[in-house]
Amino acid sequence: MKFEKITLEKKYHDAVEHWRRHYLKDYDSLIENWDRYFPQDEAFCLCAKLELGTPGTVSVGEHAGEKKRVKPDELTEEEAKHLLAIIRAQASTEFGSIQQHAGTLERAQDDEDRFWVLRVMAEELRHGYQMFHLLLSQDWSRASGGVKGETMVEEILSMQTGSHVLDAFNLEYDSFVDNIVFAALIDRVGKYQLTMQKVCAYKPMADSMPPMLREEAFHLAAGVIPMRRWARRAAEGDPLITMSMIQKSVNKWFPRGLEMFGDERGGDSNLRMGFKDLKNREAQDQYIEEVRRMVRDINSRFVRARFPEYLPEKAEQVLVELERSRGSHRGVAFDELLRLPDRRFFRRKGEPAFAMVGVDGETFSDAREYLRHLAKHLPESYMASRDLRNYGDVLKRIVSGELSVAEGVMKMPKLKRVGGTCPCSRSVRWVMEEPSSGNSDAAAPR
Amino acid sequence: MPELSTPLRIRPLDELDIGSIVRIDERVGGTYRPDYWEGRVMFYLRRDPQASQVAVSDGKVVGFMLADVRAGEFGLEEPSGWIERFGIDPDYRGRDIGRALFQAIAAHFRAMGVAKIRTLAIQSDAVSGFLTKLGFAPAPLVALEMMVPADREQR
Ligand SMILES: [Fe+2]
Ligand SMILES: [Fe+2]
Repeated sequence: MKFEKITLEKKYHDAVEHWRRHYLKDYDSLIENWDRYFPQDEAFCLCAKLELGTPGTVSVGEHAGEKKRVKPDELTEEEAKHLLAIIRAQASTEFGSIQQHAGTLERAQDDEDRFWVLRVMAEELRHGYQMFHLLLSQDWSRASGGVKGETMVEEILSMQTGSHVLDAFNLEYDSFVDNIVFAALIDRVGKYQLTMQKVCAYKPMADSMPPMLREEAFHLAAGVIPMRRWARRAAEGDPLITMSMIQKSVNKWFPRGLEMFGDERGGDSNLRMGFKDLKNREAQDQYIEEVRRMVRDINSRFVRARFPEYLPEKAEQVLVELERSRGSHRGVAFDELLRLPDRRFFRRKGEPAFAMVGVDGETFSDAREYLRHLAKHLPESYMASRDLRNYGDVLKRIVSGELSVAEGVMKMPKLKRVGGTCPCSRSVRWVMEEPSSGNSDAAAPR
Repeated sequence: MPELSTPLRIRPLDELDIGSIVRIDERVGGTYRPDYWEGRVMFYLRRDPQASQVAVSDGKVVGFMLADVRAGEFGLEEPSGWIERFGIDPDYRGRDIGRALFQAIAAHFRAMGVAKIRTLAIQSDAVSGFLTKLGFAPAPLVALEMMVPADREQR
């Protein structure tokens, strides 16, 4: 796998470094300790990486068989606009996740976990840098309505948790459990998006994917392996981590992860334009199956740790029996195991938006009762958050008939940039968007 | 021995394969070592997630081979492909799964521009028979070892 390394023009490179000093304060400590935690690995490089030797022909959609595009002007205006929205959303998620991770990084109980997350953060910075390269190396002004690359970069660097394009990147972490569960669930959505975009008809985008995907493999492991270790500790009775803490974080992130695929009914234009090779629902289905595999894996780790004397076949049998009976086995209740929430649980976008479906697929008709159900299944500190309060208000107004679901989707507040580019200038404010002012969701990768 | 009801699929290793690798290793060696494999899988995933491969049949992982490309070790300056560990579920032996895994890894090494593949094995082991069949031959390098000398012997 050969790739080309590219550094941005100095002023942009410096802008990313400046941003990094605000949100990735432990960067120097990561570099100093790199060889200790990642011996023999190549040193970290803040640069764009473009894979060499990738296919030059479009493989899906109405341009299949044609030469891949290398300039925005070779795309139709509709295609260029659509792709530009994808690149901006992607860039926003990369920077957004660093801001989220930064909030609770210091609460890691284990140094290794902390350094793994730090490396994830540094690599997300590189991914954002990669998207900046795509924005800055070509002229997008036809698709951006005259907005210059420089302005787009400024806008992304001034976003804070709350103003990012996708909802999953607008939620604060409640504890270090969120850092880990986020890597296991939300970075996994990232893996799907990047994999789908490997076919992208715009060659610089397609060539950006393989190096990012290689890093993403580490991010997923940096989520799943600590979760496996926590499952063992929980099984051994460690009071500092419980399966219920992990489960609540899964319940918080899984619905947002599903929404990152875009509306279940959409995705045709990506396919038609040759930007991705799966429709939203297809990709979401595969994702759900993969998360199910992950949950199973963590549960077996838990059961083996709880009954170290059992042979693997016996442990497997116990797990199958617990899943079937939902009962208990020698003091281990089904409720202690992790489980995947229903795909309609706690959704606020897409087909089941505001549908009031419980973790096990049970339905509710009363908003208060549903919020009480959420309170039982989400992290306590998250229940007390602004995000949940707004969600609850909008839900009640939908149930009372005051708002339609579509209006409800639009009513979630967002932080907007109101001037200044440096994050230290506190340049964003809470604003409520009116439906007519455009839906931020339009920029979501669909 | 169960028949292979679905064709064998070789794909790159991922973080959800740890449980399967632990199970195969336990079946072969009799010891449950999840912590060890968590560490090894993390090592290979963060270095080169496309190099290591697993074999899937009947919806489950039945074999694995962990590999990566390294340069500068033992004075070997040119990048070499290293195969460190592999294992096949005993129920699925004798079906050339090891060879299929090896071929996928060799293809990856080729794409990386690597000319030589290296590994270490105990000479009389069944493993070394398998490696010879794949085309491995003794290298001019000799693996040497000794016990750490006691303090007084050093003086
Ligand atoms: Fe990323
Ligand atoms: Fe990531």
